[in-house]
Amino acid sequence: MERVRTGIQRLDDMLRGGFLPQSANLVEGAPGTGKSTLGMQFIYNGITLYNEPGLIVTFEEFPQQYYRDAASFGWDFKALEDQGKLRVIMTSPEVSKQDLESVGGMIETMVAEMGVRRILVDSLSHFERIAEDSYELRDIQYKFINALKREGLTSILTRESFALFGQSDDAEDGIAFLVDSYILLRYVEIDSAVRKALLVLKLRGSEHDKDIRQYEITPTGIEVQAKFKGREGIMSGSPRMAGAFEDAFVKKGPKG
Amino acid sequence: MTNDDFTAKLMNDMDPRLLDFVKVRVNTFIKWDLVRFFHENPHTADSVENIAKYAGRNPIAVKPELDELVEAGVMQKQTIGGIPVYRLVDDKEMRRLIGEFIAACEDRHFRVKAVYHIIRGMR
Repeated sequence: MERVRTGIQRLDDMLRGGFLPQSANLVEGAPGTGKSTLGMQFIYNGITLYNEPGLIVTFEEFPQQYYRDAASFGWDFKALEDQGKLRVIMTSPEVSKQDLESVGGMIETMVAEMGVRRILVDSLSHFERIAEDSYELRDIQYKFINALKREGLTSILTRESFALFGQSDDAEDGIAFLVDSYILLRYVEIDSAVRKALLVLKLRGSEHDKDIRQYEITPTGIEVQAKFKGREGIMSGSPRMAGAFEDAFVKKGPKG
Repeated sequence: MTNDDFTAKLMNDMDPRLLDFVKVRVNTFIKWDLVRFFHENPHTADSVENIAKYAGRNPIAVKPELDELVEAGVMQKQTIGGIPVYRLVDDKEMRRLIGEFIAACEDRHFRVKAVYHIIRGMR
């Protein structure tokens, strides 16, 4: 089956070629883990490598900040907008929700006029402010995701995690059940340094890599690297040497 | 020539298109803020309350300014699902003029003149 490649090589390998077409893909992580960067790279690569125009919908960061951040990676978002291949739209969850529910709304019009195939929504967490409770939130997110699929878009939806290390927040919205894939970005402490770990937790309808891989945000974007070796408990935030327990308590035979 | 006449002549010494833009369309400080914001973030489309947040202003103050910018042909307004949503007009000439105004504002002398006209217009 054709895949929607991110253009980030090892990530596409982990996804067995990329995202499924017209799928909703959640990227969750703490501040600074690179959620927006990964999303921007997905959009940029989509345009420049695969000729797939994109939209970025931001609910908090100004588009101006996106232009600057992209430029720091060598991605000229302004030029792509001038070419009609990209739009960075600032709006609010309430307006975007109504817009997608309307016939001939802004996003629907842009998709048709520009031939948009990819979208980054940054971030889905902001829908919490328009929902009375977790049930309504799930309903709103469900409709929103369905609307994006209706428009034929493959989406990356970011979600904020407040847990810098270790266990993720106790989320009640059930978004993980609604999306087609779920990528976790985490800080981990190894040898008194903070590193970043990426895991594909879910990829509906497809096999995927189960490895926890280190990644870095380089001057040219996100680079996914080798899996963590010789460590276990990576996702706890404080990994230990693999086999340490066994070495300490199992391998030692009876004394004497 | 009186001092006032001399000052007026000095302050009117700018591109007539930009002079008209300042005196007629962007004739308050809040409108100036809003036009700058929308120039830097050109595909923003949102409600009064959220635009006020982006500009760091009170929605009660921002609403009439947005409506006047709509009347002046700088912004457009549409209702989406019952929510009045404001964004920049699509007209390329107006967007170009806005860009020229923002670029001109980089010059201190122009800014002084623009401030003069806005304050005169507030009397």
